[in-house]
Amino acid sequence: MTATGRSVLAGVLIGVGVAAFLDETVFHQLLHWHHFYDGAGLEAGLVSDGIFHAGGWIAIVVGLFLFADLQRRRITVPKRVWAGGLLGWGVFQVYDGLFQHKVLGLHQIRYEVDLLPYDLAWNVSGALGVVVGAVLLTGRARQVEAS
Amino acid sequence: MNHAHHHAGGAGWWPALLALLVALPYLAAGLRLHRRGDRWPAGRWLAAAGGVTVLAVALALPGAPFALHVAGHLLLAMVGPLLLALAAPVTLALRALPAPGRRRLLRVLHGRPARVLTWPPVVLVLDLGGMAAFYLTDLYALAHAHPAVMALVDLHMVLAGFLLAVVVAGADPLPRRPGLVGALLTLLVAAAGHDVLAKLMYARVLPADGGTPAEIRLGAQVMYYGGSAAEVALAVALMAGWYARGGRELRRDLRRRSAPASAPTPAPR
Repeated sequence: MTATGRSVLAGVLIGVGVAAFLDETVFHQLLHWHHFYDGAGLEAGLVSDGIFHAGGWIAIVVGLFLFADLQRRRITVPKRVWAGGLLGWGVFQVYDGLFQHKVLGLHQIRYEVDLLPYDLAWNVSGALGVVVGAVLLTGRARQVEAS
Repeated sequence: MNHAHHHAGGAGWWPALLALLVALPYLAAGLRLHRRGDRWPAGRWLAAAGGVTVLAVALALPGAPFALHVAGHLLLAMVGPLLLALAAPVTLALRALPAPGRRRLLRVLHGRPARVLTWPPVVLVLDLGGMAAFYLTDLYALAHAHPAVMALVDLHMVLAGFLLAVVVAGADPLPRRPGLVGALLTLLVAAAGHDVLAKLMYARVLPADGGTPAEIRLGAQVMYYGGSAAEVALAVALMAGWYARGGRELRRDLRRRSAPASAPTPAPR
């Protein structure tokens, strides 16, 4: 894989991992907005949640090691790392917000409040990440020759 | 039901004896290498000592309340086996055994049973199947009534956890070691399966014999988050191995590129 491709991949993995980590620690653990298990969701939801929980952790570890490898070979393309990171984070956010929360009904962002502003903030921020990531991905970037 | 005797006798002398059974051959082989002047890396000595200690502690932990039993299970089936896999016991055996013994071990390693047992789908079924059978069925109650069944369950957990750790992150040679992507996919399925099983324990309040619903739910959360921590450790071990191999290749390339240029014909200047 090219240095550019590997930069994007490292970014995507770190972005997905950070989104999953924030979701897990901030909203589940610190704010207690989400619950561990609602008892409302389908069991398909449990599987989807399990894959994303496990995948998020693994993605962040793999992404950081890939990034360290790019750095030690001095072939990182920083703009593409950011592009991948924002895309990964945004896609995860929107997947979680639209598919897991709404379609599977796994859990909601918060309970006993008007959900609309929360859902909007959640999904719009994710969509913004996707757009900015896509712009960074297609824009010009300095190519680094592999030494 | 008497929850004080979870691990076939609770504490006592036998966990220490079992740990010694694992530790003594390793110690003997390592010392043999040292006596003939070969070095066995300090990190592997430490991993072996840590692994044996973790297994002994896990077996000596009381089985109640349920959260403590789960903590013991995590140590026994995930943390201990990972450390033992990092200790590379098969590599040590191959280096320490005299030629006939080494040939016999190689035959076993290349045989069909070893190939099947280290094939990732089989490892995953052994690992997740064992956990599902123990925590989601009546096997949990059965094992607590019969110490021999519990001993077999514990043995299965250690061995299945060891196979998973060897296939994902171990340093030992395998008949067909999966590549980086294969190892990561294996870890992903194992981790996701572990998370789903922990949530099923929480959702269905299983194992039914584990205690009060509150105790079982607490244990299920320990299983979920503790399991995640162990899976992160597996991922780090796997990627650290990959990073170190990449570093060795880089240094080799660097030497190869600098050596021929300087030795036969000095660069014209």
